[in-house]
Amino acid sequence: MSSRILRVNMTEGTVKYEDTPEKYRPMGGRWLSSSIVCDEVDPLCHPLGPYNKVVLAPGIVTGTAAPTSARVSVGGKSPLTGTIKETNAGSKFPPQVAGLGIKAIVVEGKPKEEGKFWTLEVNKDGSKLVPTPSNWIGKGLYETVPLLYKEYGDRVGLMAIGVGGEMKMVNAGVCFNDLENRPSRYSGRGGMGAVLGSKGLKFIVVDDTGAPGVEIANKELFEVGRKKLTDALMTHAITKPKGALNTYGTAVLINIINEAGGLPTRNFSSGTFEGATKIAGEAIFEGNKKRLGKELYNHACSPGCIIRCSNTWHKPDGSEHTSCIEYESDWALGANCGIDDLDVIAELNQLCNDYGVDTIEAGGTLAVAMEGGVAKFGDGKKAIELMREIGKGTPLGRILGSGASLTGRVFGVARVPSVKGQNMPAYEPRAIKGIGVTYATSTMGADHTAGYTIAPEILSVGGKADPLSTEKKGELSRNFQAATAFIDSSGHCLFIAFAILDIASGFQGMVEECNGVLGTGWTGDDVTKIGLDILKMERRFNEAAGFTKAHDRLPEFMKYEKLPPHNTVFDVPDDALDSVYKF
Amino acid sequence: MYGKLRRFAPTQDPAGDSVVYVPANKDDTISEVLLRLGVPLKEVGSNIFLNWQYSGLNRGVQKGDRLAVFPDDMQLLYKWYFRKIDAEKSGQ
Repeated sequence: MSSRILRVNMTEGTVKYEDTPEKYRPMGGRWLSSSIVCDEVDPLCHPLGPYNKVVLAPGIVTGTAAPTSARVSVGGKSPLTGTIKETNAGSKFPPQVAGLGIKAIVVEGKPKEEGKFWTLEVNKDGSKLVPTPSNWIGKGLYETVPLLYKEYGDRVGLMAIGVGGEMKMVNAGVCFNDLENRPSRYSGRGGMGAVLGSKGLKFIVVDDTGAPGVEIANKELFEVGRKKLTDALMTHAITKPKGALNTYGTAVLINIINEAGGLPTRNFSSGTFEGATKIAGEAIFEGNKKRLGKELYNHACSPGCIIRCSNTWHKPDGSEHTSCIEYESDWALGANCGIDDLDVIAELNQLCNDYGVDTIEAGGTLAVAMEGGVAKFGDGKKAIELMREIGKGTPLGRILGSGASLTGRVFGVARVPSVKGQNMPAYEPRAIKGIGVTYATSTMGADHTAGYTIAPEILSVGGKADPLSTEKKGELSRNFQAATAFIDSSGHCLFIAFAILDIASGFQGMVEECNGVLGTGWTGDDVTKIGLDILKMERRFNEAAGFTKAHDRLPEFMKYEKLPPHNTVFDVPDDALDSVYKF
Repeated sequence: MYGKLRRFAPTQDPAGDSVVYVPANKDDTISEVLLRLGVPLKEVGSNIFLNWQYSGLNRGVQKGDRLAVFPDDMQLLYKWYFRKIDAEKSGQ
């Protein structure tokens, strides 16, 4: 059975399966979503108009026994940044799509009738668009998604947009269901939920019962690769069972980045937060232990994940409050707003999931609003009220639901920590300059997952002879961004990088898995080249959309405002930033 | 002190600050301070921050310094962004 692309035309209300064109056959994830977007979307289109598209592409090995690989890339032109966007999530949804032999779902066009919403049903018999029942619209996802499971069964993989997406707010994300069917996994960044909202697509329900499964060209090679990668993940201190991620989740970073002086606090005005220990991974583990009477280790968000880093936070009565409190959400809704209360952070997190908005941007928005005087830093009660405005769609809610940059403009705030319109995540670039280089140069806007750059080689520290030329530094940064672009295409969670960038056999294993599935013969160098090609094409899209090197810069205030405790500014020279993409 | 290393501090609340005040001797290194406290070095991860800087065990400490020590099950996820500052080697 050869793979197919499922095209969903929201203007006509039709669905169509096409054989996958030859050039797309080795692709998956970000490689495929960015390729289709670059081939089919006009970089100058209006992101909420009829010519933008949303591509949902599972990864190359998604749907196989490859560990920690149940991920989908969502791509299109972002209404938040105006750049190309790829945002991905782990869920039950991607392996089911892949198991049905679908390489990508492409959602295009725009219904003539506004305000009507549709559900796409996908199963072994085909696909069809049905009107979404009206009592599933205009309400929180925690209320409507149980109704959907009653109708379709608990097995299904689900994609959803919340009221944020229905109202086309540009901070709306794309929601996917986790292993326990919570609407809690997000392709959050860049407002792709608003694009789906503009196209009237509210839900995609996929059921792979009776599906053929993913075809594997060379089963022996795949198995060799799978075993190498599994071994690497099971032995590395970060990814192994009861390692850092399984015990404390990504929130383990709160105390660590705080001690590094890089935890952005109160809208990026300091690198340390006095309340950090109250909201860190340790505090979550301990708080749950007290409230549940037992130790709670983290769980997998998606089928086949062996890292299991997702947590839950429980109320004093032991009932679940939210899943999950990631480092980024914990920081954005916590330290960045000056909030040190996990119960408040959990409520804000739960509201973001309910309304379908990105927690990183939402926290950044609240912080900018606080700086603009809409609330005081640290006022958790007021933060929750403001978040509820988003759900209600009031004018203030619509402003806040449109992200930090817009909110900053409305309230006259000059200190907005964004690049290309997307707010920075949980690492202060003045303290951790290598991440600043990624924020500035990534094709996605300020993004911490689009690529890793190496700080030591990028920067020379005063007094020491700099062993690397500017060109060499750019090349190193670029190769790391390329490696992560490939991981995003494989279908693996980016967290495998922690293990495979240390354990070479793990990296080899990932490449062998891909070769096993596809029948290709890629080497490590080929994989880097693929990653570089992805970056090149994304960059070309952005250039055609009007972006220049002037946009590859950090906000002005970070160049002159010294950040405590290091008391540094972002002083990486412009030509070092420009050298990242000189190839 | 963080994680299981909090047991070397007077207060151990995982949601609080576990701080030990240690008198600094002349020419102390981070590893010497830890050994004096009775901290087994094999329980210490590579996540040590001296005055907010990612540091190696041989780095020198002085009076007034802030030393943050994480155990081996609390790893720095994005270590490539951090330049580790260790002892200056003589002759370089």
